[in-house]
Amino acid sequence: MMSTNNRTLSGSVAPIWHRLRKHVPVEIPGAVAVTLAGAVLATTVAPFRALDWSLWVIFGLLALSFTFVWGRAGIFSFGQTAFFGIGAYAYGVLGIDLFPQTGETTTALVAAVVIAAVVAATLGYFIFYGNVGDVYVSIITLAFTLVLLTFMSSTADPSYHIGQALLGGYNGIVGVPPLMLPGGGQMVSPNGLLFTCVAVAAFIGFGIHLLLRRPFGRILAGLRENELRTELLGYDVRRYKLVAFTIGGAIAGLAGGLFAAWGTSVNPNVFSLPQAALVPIWVLVGGRRSLLGAFVGVAIVQGVSDALGGGGGSATPIVLGTLLIAVVVLLPEGVLPTLSALARRFVPALGRASVAAGPAGRTGSPLGDSVIDDSVIDDTVIGGESRKATSITAVDVHKRFGGVAALAGASLEVAPNGVHCLIGPNGAGKSTFFNMLAGRYRPTSGTVLLGDEQITLRRPDERARRGIGIKLQVPSLYGELTAFENVWLAAYGAKRDIGEADVRARGALAWLHLSEKARQPAGELSHGERQWLEIGMVMASDPKVVLLDEPTAGMTREETMRVVELIHDLARTATVIVVEHDMEFVRQLGAPVTMFHEGRIFTSGSIEQLRADERVLDIYLGRGTSHAAH
Amino acid sequence: MTVQPDQLANLTLSLLSSIALLAVISLGLAVLFGMMGVINLAHGEFLMLGAFFTLTGVRHGLNLWVAMVLAALAVGAIGVVVERLLIQHLYGRMPATMLATWGLSLILVQVVVLIYGPASNGIPTPLGSIRIGDYSVSEYSLVLVGAAVLLLGLTYLVLTRTRYGTMARAAVMLPDMAAAVGVDVRRTNMLTFGFGSALAGAGGALLAPITAVVPSMGQTYVGRAFMTVVVGGPGVVAGTASAAGLLGGVNSLVSNLTTSVLGTAALLVVAIVILRFLPTGISGYWERKR
Repeated sequence: MMSTNNRTLSGSVAPIWHRLRKHVPVEIPGAVAVTLAGAVLATTVAPFRALDWSLWVIFGLLALSFTFVWGRAGIFSFGQTAFFGIGAYAYGVLGIDLFPQTGETTTALVAAVVIAAVVAATLGYFIFYGNVGDVYVSIITLAFTLVLLTFMSSTADPSYHIGQALLGGYNGIVGVPPLMLPGGGQMVSPNGLLFTCVAVAAFIGFGIHLLLRRPFGRILAGLRENELRTELLGYDVRRYKLVAFTIGGAIAGLAGGLFAAWGTSVNPNVFSLPQAALVPIWVLVGGRRSLLGAFVGVAIVQGVSDALGGGGGSATPIVLGTLLIAVVVLLPEGVLPTLSALARRFVPALGRASVAAGPAGRTGSPLGDSVIDDSVIDDTVIGGESRKATSITAVDVHKRFGGVAALAGASLEVAPNGVHCLIGPNGAGKSTFFNMLAGRYRPTSGTVLLGDEQITLRRPDERARRGIGIKLQVPSLYGELTAFENVWLAAYGAKRDIGEADVRARGALAWLHLSEKARQPAGELSHGERQWLEIGMVMASDPKVVLLDEPTAGMTREETMRVVELIHDLARTATVIVVEHDMEFVRQLGAPVTMFHEGRIFTSGSIEQLRADERVLDIYLGRGTSHAAH
Repeated sequence: MTVQPDQLANLTLSLLSSIALLAVISLGLAVLFGMMGVINLAHGEFLMLGAFFTLTGVRHGLNLWVAMVLAALAVGAIGVVVERLLIQHLYGRMPATMLATWGLSLILVQVVVLIYGPASNGIPTPLGSIRIGDYSVSEYSLVLVGAAVLLLGLTYLVLTRTRYGTMARAAVMLPDMAAAVGVDVRRTNMLTFGFGSALAGAGGALLAPITAVVPSMGQTYVGRAFMTVVVGGPGVVAGTASAAGLLGGVNSLVSNLTTSVLGTAALLVVAIVILRFLPTGISGYWERKR
């Protein structure tokens, strides 16, 4: 019996190990390793050093929250300090009130995280769902922090208390209990605190790393790179920003709770500008995208600052201020990234090593050796179990901008399948009409239907999820993301399934003949390739209706020919509407044409019919304008 | 409870001075934001400098009102220097501008601490008080209201009725085109930054007699100033006046009915709720409606 078991065991170790590696993300052993290292560290250092380093790790968590919110999600928020302070106050108040009952403070710490997250979510809701501009996000979060400073500073009167905890005005809350674990009511020693902080930071840090590897991370990168594009691919950008902001707030709140437990007091200085200024300084020193850099930045800045004479040294703010200005003006990429770039330049061996260790085979084919032939493309991208093409209809649409009527009762029904062109001189209203179909403008009056469904008031991301694929006139890509990631985000926006998105993205690149360049950042592609890539993104999103605004602008004749082919492919499964200036291109498409004039549909027909129409020539040449047909 | 006429007059006055306070501490910031798109995180420190220069002037025997004007001009001059040395390299880089002016604010606070010490200074509130029925009202709060109207009017005239104002607005709307038609954009930006800084200095000077003049006073006011500018939106004069009216009114009413702490909280809540529905502020909303 025993021996059989043994044999089975040894025989299955390798597969189990294989399966573990496949299913257990690399972050978990990473976090465990760092935690173990923290345990070793915590048992060897002197208690006063352990306290110092605990503070650094706590600050590192705060910096990490800013790296996540700013460096990764692109939200420039000053609010991290506010959530840090809220976490600290929440821990202080609840620690004092709950400790006598429960004999532990982990509940207070958890509550601090929850409270900071709730405040962040509330503030974030008002900011992001109000579509407040990026600039305003910074100012509101800053003002929020400073108003909290004023608010907390003016609570000196004993009437300001929550339970037993006096808020205490400038002096803040004193007598906050240190971290107490459930059970014995045993106070965590300085070394124990260091271990706890390292363990918490390790799991949070690797957790964020894992999150960023998931589709959510790619969507955040997309959001940071190009918000409009992300919206047009069917992602509700407000929701993603809110989630990112809330996660950042929760982490900052956790750091704040630990901070209050560390210092056993909390005062309004946690909301002060000098405190708030430290956060971007840390992150700029460590590199604003790097998760590890957050902790390295804290260690460097706090180390230097301690060497300069402790936190209270009179020159410290001047040094910090100068540092902030110098970094911003001279090293906008951050200190460590610039240094490592320099090192790579001057020590060529380092450069080679890092290229070799970099993304495997940047130049090689990322698709492996599998050859994708046309039938596969047909199955996975063009045809397949595709959605059915749908009609799109506009009924008596008006749009006024102030006193200008850009659309004055435009009605158009485009039947399912095939290509349809919209033309018209400048100012005829075709771009406004296009944006109305895409959902970027709301009509003053009139309705827009997708199939039988009213979509007049739907946001662009909602339209995208209903199957409208949009390519705007100005190329709109994720310049820093690879070509593959660009189309992948499009596919995932429609399918919400990693496997299917992978397949569709590969198929779309093959369809574009861009498989070789899958790993190149989209910003490095040629102009024509970028335009194709955007059409590929539309294709990857498996649309029922495709809207293309001047898809051939700035292209050579050969590139334009390729676009004609791509559009015909698209039209096999979708209704394609093209707004175009280039009459030769419209002729090559061989599609029915609708002409706009003065905010209405002027006439429809084949391009030959329109060319033969004197009135059309009159409008284009500006000869007499009184021909309005209806 | 019936409201007596004197009580009403007193409430109205406290409302007006609360509004005036917000307007004078925000106007300089609004000029820099509305005209140049610059978010000056050292704004609070410009206020603080205005207060300290006024203090210095008074200590050297200057008349208070003269000291205030000189303080505003001195802060304006500092603004010009800051623009030349720092800001001009950062136009169009919003986070960079914010971070750099943030660094500047840390430096300014510490420099003032080194010169004046961290302790609180003060100027006795000038003028006396007048009696309205059972209430006594400081005459200086009337001065504050007058000064707010004066500064808003001055800003309006400078921006709309002077050659400089026209060029400044042109330089903001289309810098390249303005340069092409002969506007010296560099010089105009420098002047605008100086003008906004001087207004901040004037705000600080007006604060000097009614608050503790300490190096850290900037951050006491700058949060409210930012809220006012954000709620006001891009229109400098109309935005500041309307936002100060709304937020100052709410702050004053809630403070009078409850406590000043809740007044501050109410200001914050109202500002955030307004931005949910008017994301470009009050003046931005008007502009879109027009």
